[in-house]
Amino acid sequence: MEYDLKAMDLEIKAIEERTKRLRELGNGFMAVERNADSILTFVYLLKKNVSDLIE
Amino acid sequence: MKEERKYWNPAVETLPRERLVEIELKRFRELLRWSQENSPFYKKKFHGIEPEDIRTLEDVSKVPMTEKDELREAQVGKKPYLYGDLLAVPPEQLSVFHQTSGTTGKPVYIPDTYESWQWVVEVWCYILYGAGFRPTDRVFLPFVYNVYIAFWQGHYAAEKLGCEVVPGGGLETKARIQKMMEVKATGLMNTPTYGLHMLEVAKEMGIDPKRDLTIKKMICAGEPMPEPTRLRLEEGWGADVFDHLGGTEPGGWAGMCSEKKGMHVIEPHFLLEMIDLETMSKPIPPGVKGVAVITSLCRRSIPLIRFNLKDMMMVRDEPCPCGRTSVRVDQVGGRVDDLRKIRGVFFSPSVVEEVIRGKFPEVVEFETILTQEGIMPVLTLRVETDPSVAESQQKELRKIIREQLKIRTNLTFEIESVKPGGLPRYTLKSARFKDSTKK
Repeated sequence: MEYDLKAMDLEIKAIEERTKRLRELGNGFMAVERNADSILTFVYLLKKNVSDLIE
Repeated sequence: MKEERKYWNPAVETLPRERLVEIELKRFRELLRWSQENSPFYKKKFHGIEPEDIRTLEDVSKVPMTEKDELREAQVGKKPYLYGDLLAVPPEQLSVFHQTSGTTGKPVYIPDTYESWQWVVEVWCYILYGAGFRPTDRVFLPFVYNVYIAFWQGHYAAEKLGCEVVPGGGLETKARIQKMMEVKATGLMNTPTYGLHMLEVAKEMGIDPKRDLTIKKMICAGEPMPEPTRLRLEEGWGADVFDHLGGTEPGGWAGMCSEKKGMHVIEPHFLLEMIDLETMSKPIPPGVKGVAVITSLCRRSIPLIRFNLKDMMMVRDEPCPCGRTSVRVDQVGGRVDDLRKIRGVFFSPSVVEEVIRGKFPEVVEFETILTQEGIMPVLTLRVETDPSVAESQQKELRKIIREQLKIRTNLTFEIESVKPGGLPRYTLKSARFKDSTKK
C-alpha cells in the first residue's frame, strides 16, 4: 500500500504551526497551554513516524 | 476489500535497510549533539567528538560506550537530586519516574518528560501490534505496577493501540484467573515465570486455561524467555506467546512478529550494535554470538548512547517472511554478569532453564546454586516436581536430569528434590541462580 508521506508531512507541519500559535494565544491559561503541549508531543511522534522518512 | 493491516507503521517497517541506517545515523548525530549540549555527563564524556563526523556505522563504533556503573556514578550526590549529571532537560519538564531494580547495584533513576514517555509508549505499540494485539482485544495485566517500568509501557501502549485494558493488580492469583474468565480477556501480558505459575494455580482450581479461558495472545516481559519456556506457555495457555526485549534504561526495543523467530529491533527508533564477547568492543557480524549495545535514538530526557546491555545475543540477517526490514535478534546465553567459569568451562544459568523447560514438563520450579567446597565449585540444582510425581519416581528423574545437564553443560550437577511448594514463585524478575561463592 502506498502512502503520500509528503502530503502527511505538510499536514503535520500545519498542525504544529497552528498549535504553537494556539499556545501563544493561551499563554498563562493552563488548560490551553498543557493541552497544546500534549498535541505538540504527538506532533513530535508523527514527525518521527512520518516526516523523518522523507528524503 | 480492505487490506489486512500487518504493521503499526507500514512506511517505517518496510523501509529498505540502507534508508533505515541513514535515518538512524542522522538521529544518532542529533542525539549526540543534544546530549553534549544538555547533559553535563555526556558533555564531559563526549568532549571533542563532533557529531557531524559520524557518517557511518563504523564511525558510531568509535564513540565510547556507556556502562551502567557510569549512569549510577553520574547520579550519586549530584544535582538535581536523583538524576544528577545525566539529566538533559529542565527538572520541571519531568512527568514520569521509574528506576531500575537494583539487581546489580544501586538503582538508576530514569525519568521521562511527557514527550519522551510518549515515545517509549509509541515504541511499545510497534511491539504489541507486531505480536498481533488489535483494538478488538481485551488485555489483562496481572500486576501491581510500581516504581519499575515493567507493564506501565504495556498498559499505555495497549490503551493507545485501542485495546481495552483490564488492570489486574491488587488481586491474588486465583482472583486474577477468575477475573480473566469473567471479562473474557483475549490478551495477556506477564512474565514467563508468572505465566507458568498461573498455569499451576489454574490446575489447582480445576481450570484448564486452554479450555476455560479465552486468552489468544500473550506477550512476556521482565526476564529472558528461552524457547522451551515459550513453547510450554503456548501449550499450557493454548495461545500465541511472544517475547520482547527491553529495560528501564532503553525502554522496549525489540519484539517478536507472527513468525516467532527472533525479535525485530524497532528501527529506526533504536540503533543496535553487536560487540565481541572477548574484547567487549570489537564489532561482530550477524550469526555470531556477542553482546548487545543499544542507543535509544529519540528519548531526550536521559539520553542513552551506546549503552552496554551486557546481554548475550545474536543477530539474524536473513529477511523475515513477515516483510519487516528491521534486523532480528535472538537472546542466546543470558547475561554476561551471570557467566561463570567452572572447572574450566563457561557456564550460563540460562542453559539450565532451557534443559528443564524443554525436557522435563513434570518440573514446575527449580533453582541453581553455586557453592564452593574447598577449592571445588559445586553446582546444585534443586527441583520441585508436580505433586503427581510419586516419591519412588524422583530418584530416576534426578538421574536423568543430571545426565541431560551434563550433556548440555559438560558439568556435573548435584540434584536435590524439593517438596511441592518448597521453592519460591516469582511474579517479576526471577532469581533462579544463586551464587554463594560471591563475596
